[in-house]
Amino acid sequence: MRFIRKTRYEQDLALFRHGGQRFWYGLLLLVLLAAPLLLDRFYLGELALVFIYAIAGVGLMLLVGYTGLVSLGHAAFLAIGAYAQAYLLVRGWPFPAALAAATLLTAAVGGLVALPAVRMTGIYLAVATLAFAVIVEHLIMNWTSVTGGFRGMAVPAATWLGMDFTGPTAFYLLCLGVLVLVLWLALNLLRSPSGRAMLAVRDSEISAESMGIHIARTKALAFALSAGFTGLAGGLFAHKIGYLAPDAFTFLISIQLLLMVVVGGLGSLHGAVFGAIFIGLLPQGLAVLRDTLPPAVAQLPGLEPGIFGLILILFLIYEPLGIYGRWIKVRAWLDAFPLYRRATHKRQKQYLRTERLQ
Amino acid sequence: MSLLVAERIGVSFGGVRAVQDLSFAVEAGEVFSIVGPNGAGKTTIFNLISRFYDVDGGRLLFDGADITRLPRHGVAERGIARTFQNTELFERETVLNNLLIGCHVYRRTGLVQDLLFLPAVRRQELAFRRTAEDVIDLLDLQHYRDQVIANLPYGIRKMVEVARALCLKPRLLLLDEPSSGLNPEETEDLAFWIEDINEELGITVIMVEHDMNLVARASDRVMALADGALLTIGAPEEVRRHPDVLRAYLGD
Ligand SMILES: Nc1ncnc2c1ncn2[C@@H]1O[C@H](COP(=O)(O)OP(=O)(O)O)[C@@H](O)[C@H]1O
Ligand SMILES: [Mg+2]
Repeated sequence: MRFIRKTRYEQDLALFRHGGQRFWYGLLLLVLLAAPLLLDRFYLGELALVFIYAIAGVGLMLLVGYTGLVSLGHAAFLAIGAYAQAYLLVRGWPFPAALAAATLLTAAVGGLVALPAVRMTGIYLAVATLAFAVIVEHLIMNWTSVTGGFRGMAVPAATWLGMDFTGPTAFYLLCLGVLVLVLWLALNLLRSPSGRAMLAVRDSEISAESMGIHIARTKALAFALSAGFTGLAGGLFAHKIGYLAPDAFTFLISIQLLLMVVVGGLGSLHGAVFGAIFIGLLPQGLAVLRDTLPPAVAQLPGLEPGIFGLILILFLIYEPLGIYGRWIKVRAWLDAFPLYRRATHKRQKQYLRTERLQ
Repeated sequence: MSLLVAERIGVSFGGVRAVQDLSFAVEAGEVFSIVGPNGAGKTTIFNLISRFYDVDGGRLLFDGADITRLPRHGVAERGIARTFQNTELFERETVLNNLLIGCHVYRRTGLVQDLLFLPAVRRQELAFRRTAEDVIDLLDLQHYRDQVIANLPYGIRKMVEVARALCLKPRLLLLDEPSSGLNPEETEDLAFWIEDINEELGITVIMVEHDMNLVARASDRVMALADGALLTIGAPEEVRRHPDVLRAYLGD
């Protein structure tokens, strides 16, 4: 157990809760910065992909984990960011300007989608976002002059002022830098009124309203931010895969993104990062699984989505707090060893909340 | 001038006339209690003031201004705060965060400033924190500051909800059955706190309450309702002895 002595209110505004935390995160960042010296290009590429997933994960986490809105269509935002990035580079925009514009454009689309979507909840919202993703997929296939349609389009090299971000080390560092930036922005959000309004909307809309929070505006902002971060991830993803085609942004990707935040742990930024690592390891895991399963099963067409669904359901039932929740428990167990009580993490009795406003 | 005026307000749900043709006025600085049997329409009055329901007819005036058509989030901005009969807290957040959300009406920063955590945001956070800490001190919630609501006992949640409402620094505070679920000691404390809130903070209080001792002790005037209609308004003792009130409670 660690007890933190607080003497000033500013302490609660700090990004790190105590010196130990700052030390460990600092060390982690140093290790990650030194990784190009130790790892070969394959692993650097895989890590860069994990960072990209994590950026999108933070975006989706703001929506699902912090505002309590489900999206089954986030692949669409990834796609918009990716195509915008490629298109703007083709048109000769400088690399950073293209990435910023792709981000803002996706955020704007997210805000527009939110206008009708914020009036819906739960399953209706999920279906609406799914429908949006289908529309975007069709748009990509048919708007040939911009997207190249079925044939797809090549993503120009990411160069700027003589620097080339396409090389494995440079691209890795770029993705790391963007992830750190995005995490910083999200942490800032969560310690200020805009973020707290989202938490309030998630936990009780009627209470939020009676605190003076504008529900529709808060949800729309959450959508825009979430889309923006996901679009930014899409812009980087475009460079990672090098060639864009509609089949890179299917429904399966939306599910994978959702899987990431649920498995990682809803309502925590750690969860977004843990989830990204999980998703990054998933293809290897699936490959191993395919090898061990009997060929008849391994070749089933719906195997991959089926497994995703299964994992999603298992986590929702057995560990709703995701990998992060599990990690907290392990850490508490280590801290308290050998005095750990089995019931430490049992929720106390939940008090009834009526649906009606009485 | 009265702080809150209800002019012939009414609302029905299907066939149920939850509130009918009801007029009353609450004076600035008083503690005004609403009593009546279950289903009398007490909570519905709060929900009309909070704009969760639209009135079918009549007007609500707050400080002279018509608030009958205000957007819901505008009610808090005018200076009206409330609690809920069964508590409606932000369950997964800490007590402190609940109180900070209570400060929301005072925010002056926008999304971009918040994302960058500019100095204005930091200053604002410190000001909010001071407000929250003052309320924590007032209601003795120091022990619970960093605890998540979902883990708190019911009595504490009730007080956290009052605390959150106080963070709005409201002019009018609506308390819906604040003593329900509290033990006798907690109810005793509550009576003192209502006095403090009313006298020291100068907040006008409208309270829906079943505990007649608390009502008699804390309120200046009492309004009795039955089936959505007014029975009588007057001093606590008068209302308690009023024949219509006795009939409504005891049946005839
Ligand atoms: N949202 C609603 N839908 C239908 N009926 C309602 C609703 N809200 C209140 N009522 C009805 O209005 C009447 C008054 O309810 P309420 O104001 O909650 O009573 P109380 O005085 O116990 O707080 C009851 O008959 C209740 O069933
Ligand atoms: Mg009631």
